[in-house]
Amino acid sequence: MTPTLILSIIALPWAGAILVWWTGDARPRLQNALAILFSLSAGIAALLLIPSARSETALTLPVGGVFGDFTFVADGLGVFLAAIATVIGSLAVIFSVDYMHGEAQLGRYFALVLFFIGAMAGLVLTTNLLLMFVFWEITALCSYALISFNSDDPKAVYGGIKALVMTQLGGIGLLAGALLIYSALGSYDLNLFIEKAETLPTSVLTVAAFGFLIAAAAKSAQFPFQTWLPDAMEAPTPISALIHAATMVNAGVYLLARFYPAFESVPGWKTAVVAIGVITALLAGVMALVSNDLKRVLAYSTVSQLGYMVYAIGAGGIFASQFHLLSHSVFKALLFLAAGAVIHSIGTRDMRQMGDLGKHMPLTRAVFVVGALALAGVPILNGFWSKELILEAGLAHGPIWAYAIMVFSAGLTALYTFRCVWMVFYGPAQSKHHGHDAGTAMKVALIPLAIGAVTTWLLAGPFSHLLESSLPFHDIEASTTLLFILEVITAPATLLALAVVALGLVAWWQRKRLSGLAHALQVIGKAAADSFGFEAINRAIVNAVQGGAESLRATHTGLLNWNIFGILAGLIVVLVVLAAGG
Amino acid sequence: MNLSIPGIIIVAAVALLGIGFYGLLAVRNLIKVIVALQILVKGMMLGFVLAGRLAGNVTLGQSLAIIVIVVDTIVAVVGLALAVQIRQRIGSLDIKTLTSLQR
Repeated sequence: MTPTLILSIIALPWAGAILVWWTGDARPRLQNALAILFSLSAGIAALLLIPSARSETALTLPVGGVFGDFTFVADGLGVFLAAIATVIGSLAVIFSVDYMHGEAQLGRYFALVLFFIGAMAGLVLTTNLLLMFVFWEITALCSYALISFNSDDPKAVYGGIKALVMTQLGGIGLLAGALLIYSALGSYDLNLFIEKAETLPTSVLTVAAFGFLIAAAAKSAQFPFQTWLPDAMEAPTPISALIHAATMVNAGVYLLARFYPAFESVPGWKTAVVAIGVITALLAGVMALVSNDLKRVLAYSTVSQLGYMVYAIGAGGIFASQFHLLSHSVFKALLFLAAGAVIHSIGTRDMRQMGDLGKHMPLTRAVFVVGALALAGVPILNGFWSKELILEAGLAHGPIWAYAIMVFSAGLTALYTFRCVWMVFYGPAQSKHHGHDAGTAMKVALIPLAIGAVTTWLLAGPFSHLLESSLPFHDIEASTTLLFILEVITAPATLLALAVVALGLVAWWQRKRLSGLAHALQVIGKAAADSFGFEAINRAIVNAVQGGAESLRATHTGLLNWNIFGILAGLIVVLVVLAAGG
Repeated sequence: MNLSIPGIIIVAAVALLGIGFYGLLAVRNLIKVIVALQILVKGMMLGFVLAGRLAGNVTLGQSLAIIVIVVDTIVAVVGLALAVQIRQRIGSLDIKTLTSLQR
């Protein structure tokens, strides 16, 4: 049963991708139906897989040779992330039916989305490092193609290329680490690697640890690669929800969580992880505060929340980080899809042109506020519990300076969230937009997510058992939901964090009186609007890659004669190597 | 000249390969390219048959050669059909004017 389910989670979306593409753009209703059918059935398969989570290899596809066997394991971490990718992914697909209604090239859109979902499920379920790298790159490719879906918009194309280049940079780190591990261990099996990590030479372990860290930072848009994610906002909004909540950025956090037991003892690694998380959470929080683009605010908030997860991993709180990943996926998908409903209805992303939209779209406002409160960490929504668990883990095992900055960032999160909600739904109307409320398909996607944002924290107990029982190398303490609740409520850290969150709210409420302070901090605001100079660094990397490619263009003459010459030259090189080696 | 039969076949195969490669390198007319490709593949085929003979497995070499004949025919048919279509639509068979990759 388990092997069938694993295969169907990956293969169903891929089969759907081909079918939707074959259907052709002349029949959009059939395309919608097929996309929903295949993504939903993959989601159901992933949910069915959860009870049978084991740490043993569940499926082996014998390949042999230097590739090793393609093994799949349905352990807690993989099953949980596959379920998030497919379930949230299928909600994004349902939402797309309304959002993308009447757009050209729906076939390309849905085919790439389904391909994306399947690749993410494969990435988290496989235990073969090489296969993992392949899935990793497929997700990068799909994100590129979907971000630049409106391929006649130069900004969208640039955003897509930037995402591709930055995540490829990380992919090099992953590939280098994987090949090094293979050369030292003679196997790509990552469970074998985690088990025998202590016996490997320190140099190999160090390079692999930092290579994987670069890969994760690039994928999850962590410092210093954080600028590609906001630029990816040119994508259609359901794609943003998909990238932020279901398929793309979770992969980096997953990678760190998966390999934490192996790299734990590498000197400096944990500190580096904590530092990256803290810097990212703080910088992105400040940037979210000064941005005026609704989707950009949400993008920076994602970067910031991913910083929390990375920080939790660095502090050893694997459960806290994965629990926050679950909460974040639910409420961020909700926020993005609700923002998509707003953008779809009034046709702009600039918050300065919004205001007082709640009148016309009460349902959208209600679900957006639920998501925003969860993001801000207000009890009793799911974001509150998971963020408190992270802060607790950080206080117990991490450095105190990091904890202080993270608590400050929590207040910052509350501040920019309230600013965003106020500007969009409550503030004075800035222009004469008459929005209409979300359509039926949009509502079908939004309501389950809103219910999830209020209730998923009740899963804390079962979720910890799932992880504890199927991850032999991770040190996870299983507990019941009630004990988690007691633990959070009784911790003094919670009161502190709540006070800071309330302070963030008060700061927004009293913003007129604080305008002197805001004036004094204008320098920081200006720097934040320029992404603290990292935008320039990231742009330079992208430009260097593009320039290099452009200068290599001369070798692509497209002339048959030159290609034949290249083939012949290659043949001669192979023959010489064979003659010399044989 | 004192050449054994395998020697003659090797010389012939290499000569056919050389002519084919030279044609692919030098010729710019699409029809001639296909002709050069055919010559090249004939040299390959000769090589297969000879290799089968030398390895003591004549049938294997011959069956490979038959597969190559089939594939080769398909290549020629599709290639020539494409060439006809290109001539009708673009009005040229010069591969240098057909390339669209260059700036």
